[in-house]
Amino acid sequence: MKNFLLPLALFGALLASPALAALQVDVTQGNAQPLPIAIPDFIAGDATGANIAGVVRADLERSGLFKPIDPKAYVDHITNINTVPNFTNWRVINAQGLVAGAVTLQPDGRLRADFRLWDVYGESQMVGTSFSTQPESWRRVAHMVSDAIYERVTGEKGYFDTRIVFISETGPAIKRVKRLAIMDEDGANPNFLTRGDYMVLTPRFNPTAQMIAYMSYIGTKPRVYLFDIETGKQEMLGNFPNMTFSPRFSPDGNKVALSLEENGNSDVYVMDLRNRQTSRLTADPAIDTAPSFSPDGRQIAFESDRSGSQQIYVMNADGTNQHRISFSPGRSGTPVWSPRGDLIAFTKQDEGHFGIGVMRPDGSGERLITSGWEDEGPTWAPNGRVLMFTREIQGGRGAQIWSIDVTGRNERRVMTPGDASDPAWSPLIQ
Amino acid sequence: MSSGQSQTRSNRPTGRKGPPRPTTARRNHAGLVISLVLHGGLIAATWLTWNRVVEMSPESHAVPVELVVAEQTNVRAEAPPQVEQKKVEDTVKMDEPPLPPFVDAEPAPLPPVPQIKIIVPKTNLDQPDTPKTKKQQVAAADAVLNKILAQAKVPKNAKAGERIIQGQGNQSLATADLADALKSQIYRCWNPPVGAPNANDLVVAFDLQLGADGTVLGRPQLTGNSAAAMGNPYTRAAAEAALRAIYQCAPYNLPAKRYSDWKEINPFQFDPREMMGK
Repeated sequence: MKNFLLPLALFGALLASPALAALQVDVTQGNAQPLPIAIPDFIAGDATGANIAGVVRADLERSGLFKPIDPKAYVDHITNINTVPNFTNWRVINAQGLVAGAVTLQPDGRLRADFRLWDVYGESQMVGTSFSTQPESWRRVAHMVSDAIYERVTGEKGYFDTRIVFISETGPAIKRVKRLAIMDEDGANPNFLTRGDYMVLTPRFNPTAQMIAYMSYIGTKPRVYLFDIETGKQEMLGNFPNMTFSPRFSPDGNKVALSLEENGNSDVYVMDLRNRQTSRLTADPAIDTAPSFSPDGRQIAFESDRSGSQQIYVMNADGTNQHRISFSPGRSGTPVWSPRGDLIAFTKQDEGHFGIGVMRPDGSGERLITSGWEDEGPTWAPNGRVLMFTREIQGGRGAQIWSIDVTGRNERRVMTPGDASDPAWSPLIQ
Repeated sequence: MSSGQSQTRSNRPTGRKGPPRPTTARRNHAGLVISLVLHGGLIAATWLTWNRVVEMSPESHAVPVELVVAEQTNVRAEAPPQVEQKKVEDTVKMDEPPLPPFVDAEPAPLPPVPQIKIIVPKTNLDQPDTPKTKKQQVAAADAVLNKILAQAKVPKNAKAGERIIQGQGNQSLATADLADALKSQIYRCWNPPVGAPNANDLVVAFDLQLGADGTVLGRPQLTGNSAAAMGNPYTRAAAEAALRAIYQCAPYNLPAKRYSDWKEINPFQFDPREMMGK
């Protein structure tokens, strides 16, 4: 029987092979480019529909991952968002995504925006969501629509419904006025938070984006203050005898890590905001500063010159296991842990050249993503995909804020009213 | 198929026990041998047919691409693909909305003071609140069933994938030019989301059927591990990007005489790791 079954199986194989043979293809190279997307004006009774669509188009274009198609090129229009679009008409203009939206004013006076994102080639709806708010907040609705589209297409959270706090710089170089300012992620709605009668530096958001920690020269010594955005109230963080600086919140918002100077030496401390208890984390005669928590709160990256030059170190949140992770030539400082946890951004300085770099938390995979006369002070978008940083213009011609994708693509200036530095990106607004 | 056959060979004899047949019995059982051969042929034909049915059954492949929109209102789930094309061509027929109406949201109260803190309700529009037709219900049930089957059959699919790859060496020489031709044509259309933290999440594979004119037949089916990983938003985005590329670059220009070599592409894998330098 065994001798009989073998040829039988071979016979079966002979018959089966041609029918089951399938071509195997492994595509490894593509064409990374912005996704063409059509975003017609939202259907509305007034200009709000066009305004919202305009902000969505600008948001997505700014990300570098989308290419909104000029509405003049459309050969079709959206007249009803509750019907399936004629995809053929959108494929004609090479749109891969189509956003159909409508804005209505509710009986209670609130503005309601409904939208659907369509996959033009897959001919299916990818997402459909509704947002309601007060009419004057239509820009936020637009940003939320942008975030929903971004998240659905890329798989990662958006960052358009966020704010940037930064230092606004005005006046001559010898009498520079540095004020704390805030604006939407796209540069809209800029506002000053402080009057400018004292200098402020290094602002940092807390996880709810309602509190800012920063350093200010009120009085004789620079110290860390907390600023409540809603109330405008500010308070000094701890009553330390000496200079405190470089604050940063823990991911849960309950602690602030900061630097405390004493006799020309600085070390990293952490203060629990709930009981105002302070713990010392480093005790090295070198300058230890610029602490930044990992997103899980278990580790802290910081910079230290204990090796003889400024380098990046990582330690446990209780100060144990301090170890150096940056070893490339030059100096590495101002580490900022990505909200995604996969990278640490930092400022690189080597032979007079500055740049923003990223490396993995173990120090591997270091790469520079910007290069400039003086690029420094990176801050992460809440999705860990985009960075902003300060770019000083050569010749003392002021400071600007720029943004760049973590891949090193899509470098562009963030428009601010006047000179600006030291940006801090908020979490997504709750 | 090779491992499947070897499995058949190795399993069946172990199930047959007993003394060897005496040689003198051969003559007397010649008719029996012929009968066995004929029955064997019948079994093989049945086995082959069964396998083909299984291969072609949508349930045997992982997730239909519908899964990428499984959480949202799915137009396809409400309209069979064969009639959908007509609907797409003629929006007049869409007077009866195929989509559920938007769900009314109870607006959350605004915070009292701040101008910069605004709490707004976020409502998912895709919770249908109108009764579906029977046709729609069947289509929706199919979509759910496909999803469940795909998730339940991961180990089986994974095994099938391995089996196919094992056979790749035999046919790759003869069809390498076809694979290259396809890759060169789809290159310009494939725009993977390369910003993901884990490049491995972006590798997806499809079972794709092509018509003789190079058009895409039916819906390409996600296969193997990529189907199982569709809960990962990065994988889902990668699968959708690959699917857009498949559709956008069709029809494919391949030698018509060799249609039998490229009518099915499986696995049609999209792997951006090299692009990401990982």
